[in-house]
Amino acid sequence: MAKTQHIKNSESPLQITAKTSKWIVLILYFLITIFPILWLSISAFKTNFEIETSPFTLPAVWQFKNFANALQVSGLSRYFLNSALVAVFSTIINLLVTSLASFVIAREDFPFRKVFFTFSTAGVLVPIIAFMVPYYTLATSFGIYDTLLVLIFTYAAINTPISMFVVSSFMTSIPFELEDSAEIDGCSFWQRYSRIILPLAKPGLVTAGTFSFIYCWNEFIYALLLTSSESARTVQLAIRFFTSQFRTDYAGLYAAIVLTMIPTIVVYIFLHDKIISGMTAGAIKG
Amino acid sequence: MSSVHSQKREKKMKDTSKKRNKNMKYIILFLVPVTVLLMAYFVYPIVFVTILSFTEWNGIEPMTFIGGGNYTRLFQDSVFITSIKNNVIWALSAALLQTPLALVIALILAREVKGWKFFRTVYFLPNVISLVALAMLWKAMYNPEFGVVNSFLEIIGLGGLARNWLGELGSALPATIFSYQIYVGYFMVIILAGAMSIPKSLYEAAEIDGANIWQQEIHITLPALRGVLITAGTLAVAFALRQFETTFLMTAGGPANRTPVMGLYMYRQMAGFHYGRAAATGVMLIILGVIVITGLQRIFGKTDVAAESMQ
Repeated sequence: MAKTQHIKNSESPLQITAKTSKWIVLILYFLITIFPILWLSISAFKTNFEIETSPFTLPAVWQFKNFANALQVSGLSRYFLNSALVAVFSTIINLLVTSLASFVIAREDFPFRKVFFTFSTAGVLVPIIAFMVPYYTLATSFGIYDTLLVLIFTYAAINTPISMFVVSSFMTSIPFELEDSAEIDGCSFWQRYSRIILPLAKPGLVTAGTFSFIYCWNEFIYALLLTSSESARTVQLAIRFFTSQFRTDYAGLYAAIVLTMIPTIVVYIFLHDKIISGMTAGAIKG
Repeated sequence: MSSVHSQKREKKMKDTSKKRNKNMKYIILFLVPVTVLLMAYFVYPIVFVTILSFTEWNGIEPMTFIGGGNYTRLFQDSVFITSIKNNVIWALSAALLQTPLALVIALILAREVKGWKFFRTVYFLPNVISLVALAMLWKAMYNPEFGVVNSFLEIIGLGGLARNWLGELGSALPATIFSYQIYVGYFMVIILAGAMSIPKSLYEAAEIDGANIWQQEIHITLPALRGVLITAGTLAVAFALRQFETTFLMTAGGPANRTPVMGLYMYRQMAGFHYGRAAATGVMLIILGVIVITGLQRIFGKTDVAAESMQ
């Protein structure tokens, strides 16, 4: 309080300019970020005529039926289910696999421990998009091309490096005393993992799981490459087909796109602090 | 990790090493699943893509080894050259546009202006929405008939600038790159966390010495942020090089093959069953990434992103 008072009392022209330009930048960028999303969400409630003639006004009557139409025309409910199945199972597999390995890396000593950790997290820097051909041939040779299974495994693998990093750094921060006393009480190796460390690592698992869920829900390239039929179509692929499905019904198109954005936005509303701190933990020292 | 913690850890490690033989089979068992996933989805692909890039293969008939044939073909194809050029432009926009913009916003928010947490949350929001949805959204906004971009220009009296943004040769690439600038939030959040970890006492001392805000930012914040800035810049460039969705959905490489990027070029080769050429494109993409990122670190100083993200 005292500090702000001090600044206020001695405002120089330079500080006033700095203050004004600061708010101009913040608000301008705020508008650039939020306007497209807001514009789409509001347009989804308009009639097609309103969309074409008055792009900046609110709808005269909010057309909730656009959303019902969108669901009917696009068959979105099925793709929602597909995306949810992929995201949930992929995240479960990812967390199971990475928590096992992270437990060992964070709590045990074995030869090449550090090398293994580097190996398991180095994939963060690899441009996954360069693996189009091998991922495709993997899918066909295992006979899982065009199934939800192929997406579940592919996404679980792609998210492994980031989850390894998040989960193992969290498990490393758990005090060792807890485990020692558990061991004295006769806990087995498996029990130390499942009863002691795993419950304590829950915040780390939630962060990694959130990243994984958002990634799976939003992924497009490999859904495009590894599936072809409607039975394995995810919402992101569905968006691509909306343009032809809705032809001239822009209101329906916008409503459908808005529906696909809701799940990750809801997750973000509840977990934004966790997501942001998890993101930065990965990139900042200490 | 604090040093006390690591000392405890070392002690713990010594204790466990006695039990190593007993636990070794569990340790191996616990590492098997992750190793299988990483071998299948990271190690095998790198090896396979490299080998495949020296062959001709349509996915059905046996592969034939053709040496560097795919690479010579790539560099004779003007569309591939354009793709590399566009990828470099994308990477430059990440380094010279996205990162500085992220820095400016982070520096403002780091002073804990009113509502800084709210702004941070909003700026990061586009990162949780799919590239596909946002690409479709921007495509609608650029629509030449009733898109809001043209309407907005008319309202502010710049109606003369209105055009078919994604359809004209000159404006398509800048328009797609502009739409990508809403993804500043991720890098802003990284830089912001770095800036907020700078001890407040440094600024208080500088203020007593009569340093104004600009001087404080230039002499305290920027030097302290050097490593974080290189990390953020490297990530921004790496993401820009992998970019596929925005181009694929907004222009599909058009008009007249002005906007393709390497990811899109690779996808087209695959769609045409030229797996060897697609693999060669993948290898070139990895190599371009290594060149650009090591180049950046040569210029701005060395910080190993991988090592840094593993602290």
